[in-house]
Amino acid sequence: MVLSTFIIGLVSHAFLVQNQYYSTQTLRTSAQDNVRTATELMAREIRTTAGGGVVVAGARTLTIRSPIAVGVVCGQEITSGRHIHTEGGPAGFDSDEVGGVAVRSGTTWTFQNTTWAAINGSDSQSATRCYDNGADTTGAYSEFHRLNGLDVLFGTAPNEGDLVMLFRETTFKIQASQLDPTTLGLFRSQYGGALTEFATGIDATAQFQYRTGGASYADTIPGAAIDDIDAIRIVADARLPAPTGGQDDVRFGWSVNVALRNIQ
Amino acid sequence: MRPPRDERRGFVLAFVVFMLFAISVTGATGYMMVASEWEMSNHSGQGAEALTVARAGLERFVAEQIGAVGDSVSYALGDGVALITTRKLYEQDSLTHVYYVRSEGTVDDIFSPNSPARRVVGGYAVHHKRPLAHHAMVMIGANRIDVANGGEIDSIDRDNAVTCTGGGATPITGAIAAITVTEADANDIQGVPDWEIWSGGSSEIVDSIALRWDVLSDPDFPVEFENTLPDFGSIPSDSFPIIRYTGWVYANFTGRGLLIIDGVFDPGSSFTWDGIVLAKHTDDIIQGHLDGFLVAGLEGPNMYSTVDYRMRTHFHSCDLNGANETLSYMELLENTIFEGS
Repeated sequence: MVLSTFIIGLVSHAFLVQNQYYSTQTLRTSAQDNVRTATELMAREIRTTAGGGVVVAGARTLTIRSPIAVGVVCGQEITSGRHIHTEGGPAGFDSDEVGGVAVRSGTTWTFQNTTWAAINGSDSQSATRCYDNGADTTGAYSEFHRLNGLDVLFGTAPNEGDLVMLFRETTFKIQASQLDPTTLGLFRSQYGGALTEFATGIDATAQFQYRTGGASYADTIPGAAIDDIDAIRIVADARLPAPTGGQDDVRFGWSVNVALRNIQ
Repeated sequence: MRPPRDERRGFVLAFVVFMLFAISVTGATGYMMVASEWEMSNHSGQGAEALTVARAGLERFVAEQIGAVGDSVSYALGDGVALITTRKLYEQDSLTHVYYVRSEGTVDDIFSPNSPARRVVGGYAVHHKRPLAHHAMVMIGANRIDVANGGEIDSIDRDNAVTCTGGGATPITGAIAAITVTEADANDIQGVPDWEIWSGGSSEIVDSIALRWDVLSDPDFPVEFENTLPDFGSIPSDSFPIIRYTGWVYANFTGRGLLIIDGVFDPGSSFTWDGIVLAKHTDDIIQGHLDGFLVAGLEGPNMYSTVDYRMRTHFHSCDLNGANETLSYMELLENTIFEGS
């Protein structure tokens, strides 16, 4: 009887310990997956940020302008209408994401916030206009499109041959989670939109850091150096409450360096 | 009192079964977690590699582009393949075109061959169709050019618009040297003006012609014909191949195209060429016949400070343009790379 009790106790204890271990490991895996996925999504947007496209560079807030589509002005109307080609045409991107338009002058971009509705100028002659200027329109008739109102935004409309970018302006913010107030969350918003939490379980050590040449990163940089940012580090340490009381939270250190390809 | 033997046997059996079950669950859970993590990190790694392949393909295409721009090309890079496609979008002028270059990088996964990791990057590039800036018929980074002994430099275009597109070009300068250009007879050099003095000599010439001599003369830079001439009878009559020779080249041959001499250009009286000659140095005596341009002294001052120019050199814009177009290259526009879908 004593032996049986001892064995049952031993087995039960082993089961509980194992169960706790599984739970911790599952949480750890979950935390890893969570921050990995979140940083991968962020990195994809951040990576192609154009020169001059970092708007806010704070330790907990990052606002960037990244290209949705880039096109070349291949035709123009006597009015300010400009015909451009973008890969896939307007059907190739989500127009709701458009936060503005930029024009490339020299090697830098000049950005202006606007909406797709404000510049969209459907014109069935866009491909023809561009063809007249040497564009190869074969199999891509629908990829040519007209933009209006660029003269209002930029003073003068871009010239033929100039490059135009439709960009999204995205804000990433690290703040108290709405889904789990005991941790922080990663939030994202489009230009003019509300913040939406897309990753929970972020530790208090999470922040954005910036490199302006050299090898070191800093969480704050002078405003004048914002255009010199050539890499952004996302420190997205994860933290989840322990599965049972009396134990430390499950933590996972994770950071990703994203080099800004267009700026280096 | 101890339980009967039969009852004890049943307890041990149940215990063993339970332990086996527990161990199985532990193993299965561990395996699932590790497998899931491995799969995720593997897919993530393949995605990152596909992006790198796409980028590398784009850069390579632009860097290696010389001559006419093809519609598509693919490169095997690392574990993946980059498929490059181009689309001309705008002709700034007849010599400068804007292209969209798209690169799709794919990396296969042997466990799911039908759904490879795939990333797309796009960028814009300017195609410089005839990049060589021809300031004069003859540009030599030497102190002195003496046109004499049958030598002749004529910059009046002997082609016209009927002969080829761009024919009938405006006359240009006859010759350029660092200190002096002389002619034995008043008609030996005909240009607008007959000559110019560029005191900067070789470095000024190199800076002005808008060509990367270091690239063209690099043995790793592929050319169509290395130290040999093509069989001109077997190639189209309107093609202008790139031919590169190294060392001291006693040129007594006939041909056309872009002739690169990474050494000393020493043409004899039977040398005849239609196109462009680019040379590191020239000999002190130059003979033969050239329907096109000569640029020499491309790696510092010409090894002979005075060149006795006995070559008959005529302006044929059709030959010149044909050879110049073999040098055409793409220039990726900064700050225009983006990820597509």
